[in-house]
Amino acid sequence: MTKTTTTRRSVLRGAAALAGSAAFPAPFVHAQERVTLRYLSTAVNQSPAIAEKASEDLGIDIEYIAVNTDEVPRRVITQPNSFDLVDSEYFSLPNLVPSGNMKGMDASRIDRIDQLATVISEGTVNGEQVGLDGTAPHEVLYLEGQDSTSFASSPTEWITLIPTTYNADTLGIRPDLIDKEITSWASLLDPDFAGKASILNIPSIGIMDAAMALEARGDLTYGDKGNMTREEIDATIAALIEAKRAGQFRAFWSNFQESVNLMASGEVVIQSMWSPAVTAVRTQGIPCVYQPLQEGYRAWASGFGLPRTIEGRKEDAAYEFINWFLSGWAGAHLSKQGYYPAVLDTAKEFMEPYEWAYWYEGAEAEQDIMAPDGRLLEEAGATRDGGSYEERMGSVACWNAVMDENQYMVRKWNEFIAA
Amino acid sequence: MTQAADTTAEVRPARTSARRRGAGRAGAVLAPYLQAAPMALVFLVFFVLPLAATIVVSFWQYTQYSIEPAFTAQNYGDVFYGCLADLPSLCTTFLTYLSTLKFCLIVWLTTLVIGFTIAYFLAFHVRTLKVQVICFLLCTIPFWTSIVIRMISWIPLLGRNGLVNQALMGMGVIDTPLEGLLYSDFAVILALTHLYTLFMVVPIFNSLMRIDLSLIEAARDSGASGAQTLRHVIVPLARPGILIGSIFVVTVVMGDFLTIGIMGGQQIASVGKVIQTQMQFLQFPLAAANAVILLAAVLAGVWALLKLVDIRKEL
Amino acid sequence: MSEAQTVELAAVTKRYGDALAVDAISLKIPAGKYCCLLGPSGCGKSSTLRMIAGHEDVTDGDIMIGPRVVNDDPPAARGTAMMFQNYALFPHLSVAENVAFSLRMKGVAKEERRERAAHTLELVSMTEFADRTPQQLSGGQQQRVALARALMTDPSVLLLDEPLSALDPFLRVRMRSELRRIQAELGITFIHVTHSQEEAMALADLVVVMNDGQAAPPREIYNAPRTPFVARFIGGHNILEDEGRTITLRADDLSILPDARAAEARRRARVSEIEYRGPDVRVGLETDAGESLTAVMGERTFFESPLREGSEVALGWQPEAAHELSRDG
Repeated sequence: MTKTTTTRRSVLRGAAALAGSAAFPAPFVHAQERVTLRYLSTAVNQSPAIAEKASEDLGIDIEYIAVNTDEVPRRVITQPNSFDLVDSEYFSLPNLVPSGNMKGMDASRIDRIDQLATVISEGTVNGEQVGLDGTAPHEVLYLEGQDSTSFASSPTEWITLIPTTYNADTLGIRPDLIDKEITSWASLLDPDFAGKASILNIPSIGIMDAAMALEARGDLTYGDKGNMTREEIDATIAALIEAKRAGQFRAFWSNFQESVNLMASGEVVIQSMWSPAVTAVRTQGIPCVYQPLQEGYRAWASGFGLPRTIEGRKEDAAYEFINWFLSGWAGAHLSKQGYYPAVLDTAKEFMEPYEWAYWYEGAEAEQDIMAPDGRLLEEAGATRDGGSYEERMGSVACWNAVMDENQYMVRKWNEFIAA
Repeated sequence: MTQAADTTAEVRPARTSARRRGAGRAGAVLAPYLQAAPMALVFLVFFVLPLAATIVVSFWQYTQYSIEPAFTAQNYGDVFYGCLADLPSLCTTFLTYLSTLKFCLIVWLTTLVIGFTIAYFLAFHVRTLKVQVICFLLCTIPFWTSIVIRMISWIPLLGRNGLVNQALMGMGVIDTPLEGLLYSDFAVILALTHLYTLFMVVPIFNSLMRIDLSLIEAARDSGASGAQTLRHVIVPLARPGILIGSIFVVTVVMGDFLTIGIMGGQQIASVGKVIQTQMQFLQFPLAAANAVILLAAVLAGVWALLKLVDIRKEL
Repeated sequence: MSEAQTVELAAVTKRYGDALAVDAISLKIPAGKYCCLLGPSGCGKSSTLRMIAGHEDVTDGDIMIGPRVVNDDPPAARGTAMMFQNYALFPHLSVAENVAFSLRMKGVAKEERRERAAHTLELVSMTEFADRTPQQLSGGQQQRVALARALMTDPSVLLLDEPLSALDPFLRVRMRSELRRIQAELGITFIHVTHSQEEAMALADLVVVMNDGQAAPPREIYNAPRTPFVARFIGGHNILEDEGRTITLRADDLSILPDARAAEARRRARVSEIEYRGPDVRVGLETDAGESLTAVMGERTFFESPLREGSEVALGWQPEAAHELSRDG
């Protein structure tokens, strides 16, 4: 790969020195060729600004490999040598880890390992436990050993994914086209919105939205909405088919842009939505609300993982990049797009106080809120939908998941689509 | 004419003998194979091999994260899960194929009628080549944009608050917007027709252009009306084009899942979408089994089409 | 068969945009005659035929078939039938189906169709080919089928557009006599377009030289062409200026005088070319005045006192052999 006469140990020593003080990298590392990291993730997670800034600060080049949501785990399983760093959803881990293609990350090489947001590392916000249905990140955060293919139930030295972004999804609504108050997931199946509702056509997520709605309506109670039994799947799909035949749904969506289009055009007035998608509708000047609900949110999280084959300078560079990622600039950058970062304190250092107050504390914006690219997101005086970080992440009810009965669920979902 | 025919008749043997003398027997025998080799190679590497791999994989076992090269017919069983047990109600696979077949048939009809009409116009009413080329370019407009852009642009036209609904309400034809314009069977048929009519126009146009205009005059001379000329002369002579166009359209619609998905609001099943969902969840062998069955269904469709046309010829 | 009909053209004109294809042609073809429209390519003879057939609109003037003006009638209502230059047989139909096509259009029952088609195929000696497709036939056979198909509509006028031009010379001669025979048998009017004066002479009761409009029996056309154009097109004529008149002189009427009669010479010339043609010999001549003339003499006569290229000769003709022409145009 790179022509180097230095031993592995000397590189490690150099990298350690570099990790200790990014401002004064060890000279002989600097003298070598620049390292390029191939960064596999969905396009949404690939901000050119972050790659640019990392290149400037670290001398590491980031080469983005942009693929679809479902292509990320497929790539990890089928082509583990095609990337150096993957930004994957936590719920994919139960598939990725047993494949043996992921390498446990050494916790001792992550500077701020102790500062990770507790909602990820422990499933708590301010000491309060959040809903843990589905694949809660802390359940799949640790491995028993570096090469282990099973998760550890308590914290170990080996990390599966270091969080990049996470957030909580809820129902998005068009307040101008809805004349009643929406307080529950049950509204998704409200006959008043017949022909104007939508859910995700990603089976594992769509079925959870449906489960939230059915449970809220009192039809069903689930043991774990993120890991249903066959009976629960049958009952959920049966209810969905009934709603579909009754004309409840206008359309299903399967990507960010579709959800924005459906909402912005008024074809749909209520649907489960991602927070940035709500923002995207609003920036078109169309009223759209990310509606907090009494049952809570469906959360998701994604993070950095390393492929089994990474080693040497590439591995060092990957750790270096991850440490930089947690050091604040990137966290602030993502925060200003509406995502939450792994380490809150460092992100705060890179944000203006009024920005922090708006994005994290649920306060009214003192000034206009701008996106990182300078677009106006909200005018002064606005407050963030769903309120503060604690209110949002503290109200998580379940996490995106892959079920044990996944194959059965997919089959039943296809039945629902064909019905 | 006599002269031209005579010349070719004379030239042909001369050329053949020259080739024999020049290149030698072995070269003459090999040459056609060598000429066909590049295409054969492409065909082998990018079609036969993947197809063989698909068929092989369709008999493998799998877990959520791995594929095991161990023989099983279970995937095919899973595809037809419940198909016998649930009778008389139809299983997912039958329902999906039925829905796909329905679109196939309807879109075949609409593209045939519209495509034939356009091709007829282009071949017999547009005099100059230049105007014909321009008209063809117009027909290709749907392909200039990505499916995403097309999808977005249907919404302002057919949506609840779209142009069509507003126009109809403005004229007082309807009081409430027609919901069925978008995300419905109608929308799917419209979009597929819009997209694939060109596949009919091109081969039919090609067939029509080969029709000697004096044949049409001869028909008129024999007392045929316009409709009779169409039915007894033009349509039979356009048959190869109609057949090729039909095969294009039928195969493309059978495998379509993007247009059906988008225009059907993802609420209408298609075989392609089922395969895509299974791939999404890393169920490659199951997806492969579905793909093999789809391939068989498409081939059966093409075969039936050929059969249908042949039978009509017999009559 | 229908009764033969007169075909009459009254100042018929055809324009394609600005291009004038047929300029006010007037013509009367008596019923039951074999008429050839003769002319070089581009003279409008095909357009004229197609106007008579109804496949081309008349820009101006009238076409009458029998007592009726048919300008606006569709082809099938005119009582005409056309045989196309390339035969225009339907490639997807068998010979019998091609022939029976017009009956099928009329809704005649299958049995009757077959019977009548068989009868017509017999007329053109094609019975044994009834089940073949046109592609399996030779040019001559295709032509017979085309003829049979045209006759099936019971026309009173049959229109033939360069029917023999696609055949080889041997077959052409044979088909000529066949056409003549069939015309005589049916007794209907034939209008036949050709660019070959030989064909026209051989077939026609009435030759119409297009561009000029002279319509006359072949002998009259040959012996008394009206204009230099007709004389040149018909061939075998010398056109020269003599005593202030333009005259034409058949090549076989131009004599090379023996020395004894050199005093009678009307022209003196040099032999520029000698072409042996079997029954006769054609001698190309350059006069002192620079005219190019042609003399044709019998093979025996020529070889009684053979000439050589470059020989100086005296030319003469009988006064009654000269035919005065009017000016072109």
